[in-house]
Amino acid sequence: MEAALWAEKYRPKTLNEMRNQTDIVNRLKKFVETKTMPHCLFAGPPGTGKTTGALCLAHDLFGERYMDLFLELNASDTRGIDVIRTTVKDFARISTISGAPFKILVLDEADNMTGDAQQALRRTMEKYTNTCRFILCCNYSGKIIEPIQSRCAIFRFTPLKHEDVLDYLRFIANNEKIELTDDGLHALIDFAEGDMRRGINILQSATSLSGKIDEDTIYQVVGMAKPEDVKNMLNLTIEGDFIKARESLRNMLLRSGLSGTDILKQIHSEIYKLDIDEQKKVELADAAGEVDFRLVQGADEEVQLGALLAKISLYTK
Amino acid sequence: MSQLPWTNKHKPKNSGEVVGNKEAIESLKNWVLSWKRDGTDKKATLMHGPPGMGKTVLVETLAKELNFDLIEMNASDLRSGKVIDNVIGSAVEQQDLFQRKKIILIDEVDSISPKKDRGAVQSILKLIESTNYPIVMTANDVWDPKVRGLREKSLLIQFKRISSREAFPFLKKLLDEESVEIDDDALKSIIQRNEGDIRSMINDLQMISAGKKRIIKDDIAWLAWRDRKEPIFDALKLVFTSKDCFTARRALDISEVDYEMLFEWIYENVPRQLSDSSDMVNAMEALSKADLFIARTKKHQAWSLLSYVIDLMTAGVAMARERTKPAWIPMKFPQRISLMSRTMRERALMRGVGSKIGNKCHLSSKSSVRDYMPYLKIIMKNNAKSASSLEEWLELDEELINYLKS
Repeated sequence: MEAALWAEKYRPKTLNEMRNQTDIVNRLKKFVETKTMPHCLFAGPPGTGKTTGALCLAHDLFGERYMDLFLELNASDTRGIDVIRTTVKDFARISTISGAPFKILVLDEADNMTGDAQQALRRTMEKYTNTCRFILCCNYSGKIIEPIQSRCAIFRFTPLKHEDVLDYLRFIANNEKIELTDDGLHALIDFAEGDMRRGINILQSATSLSGKIDEDTIYQVVGMAKPEDVKNMLNLTIEGDFIKARESLRNMLLRSGLSGTDILKQIHSEIYKLDIDEQKKVELADAAGEVDFRLVQGADEEVQLGALLAKISLYTK
Repeated sequence: MSQLPWTNKHKPKNSGEVVGNKEAIESLKNWVLSWKRDGTDKKATLMHGPPGMGKTVLVETLAKELNFDLIEMNASDLRSGKVIDNVIGSAVEQQDLFQRKKIILIDEVDSISPKKDRGAVQSILKLIESTNYPIVMTANDVWDPKVRGLREKSLLIQFKRISSREAFPFLKKLLDEESVEIDDDALKSIIQRNEGDIRSMINDLQMISAGKKRIIKDDIAWLAWRDRKEPIFDALKLVFTSKDCFTARRALDISEVDYEMLFEWIYENVPRQLSDSSDMVNAMEALSKADLFIARTKKHQAWSLLSYVIDLMTAGVAMARERTKPAWIPMKFPQRISLMSRTMRERALMRGVGSKIGNKCHLSSKSSVRDYMPYLKIIMKNNAKSASSLEEWLELDEELINYLKS
């Protein structure tokens, strides 16, 4: 059946349908023409077309039967070394019988793989290059170990341009026969922040509220989708109610599915907007960096972010 | 994960089976039965009392028992008055074609946020004026100024803590149905530590009986913190009042809990005990260091590092106290642990939805929850047609659907 979530329904199926990341798409089309490709690393922010690029590439290379020659694994769900040793190896080592030159294995969210798993992957990639090409997708290429980076052609996906997001959302609105006002469209673009997926999700949920979508509808949806937000938590911190701020942090971590790193990133971008000495902003940035590093080391998200909030509360007094 | 939460599985089948609060149950039942649109009685009821006393369960059970339709909404759904009007406004004002009786349940009205849910209280008040059906609200704190308007328009029904006399046979029977045996003193101590909150008693029991046929006192030793006589309180006193490191460090020895549990206790109480904010910041800093050392200890299996963890979390916090004046402030049970056990089911459902989305949308279940779920919820709640095609496409089962719509 047709995908019920628009972000999926309107995901391009072929490279020709991809309307942005033009340079990258052109290079991928060359791979299709020559029926060859290296291992690839797709790096860039969410919703910029990494997975779509990989899916379209596989589709264009292998045609309709691409699902047999293509395996997609999500490293966040299956991040351990065992998966690399078994699933990945089993897929990679069996060569194709259908005359296709190779198979493609996509590892999504590869920056969430453990170091050990990455080491194991590195050997696998090397050993089975003849039968299988890897596409690793990640937000930060820095979290991928050097030896893997050096084995891959690196593609940097940039945040989508406002016009691109705007055109596509308008296209979807027309196709779904939605009345989308200009101010609604602009609010939508603002909240999407270059993330096509978010833009489409906001649009679809706004449609469920009202037949006509204007600025108010968009604000309403965004408000409903983010009951506990980082700004609210920071306000509580600044007002000196640390206990409440910590509760809000706890709720976000346990109930909204945000990770400590997601929250830290938002705190970090808010630091510069605080009404405090410029020197203190640097100190807070330093503290935030320390927290980020500690989280990578496996420290507790709430305790570390809590300590950071405490610091902010002192500085904003 | 597939195991049903006991709090659901053992929901009472009729109002007689609801534990405790017999008077409250009777008054609610009588009020619902005698409710008339043009009667002189109050048009709404506000049931109040601490969490986990069975307020919501009672309404659900009563509706089933009396064969009423239940229209339920949670106050946290009410982003603004508009939403209330849309969702239940029409249901309240129209007479049902088939003359089905209805109860409107608005849960947790005291959690309405005055800023963000602007207009919510006004809308509920309007609803009470015009309703064709009895409206039942619940609240933990009925004296919260936010709900003053609602309080005046409602019949107040108080829910008291479940006594151990009432809880004991109920829990015993529940465990019996689960084929789990329990020693009497173990059950008593679970009842005691939950201070009349029947829901968390059931959650605790489910948690500790996982994979066990018999529960003895030792099994719950690590749960036995709420009793004010427990050594943990003496240990905390050392952490928050010692003047030297050596004494502070003794806290772990006398606490009779493991270092992680002691950490949770200290972490919960630092901002409560240390009223001076720079003391508080320093103590949090020490704790965050201790936490980092815990992470390293575990990562490298280097248990000798634990010694430094203990230093930082006990002595480190004790020495952070420089300017805070002595005062007696009661110690609070680690709220993080309570919230984890309260949201156990919610989080399992969240992960369930996440993996369903992930299967279709090329995303990890974690990212699916973050990127899709808030929007999915909005659609599921507000648009029946899109909801049903989503249910089919994502292959959601009934439990997940209910979660997304709640």
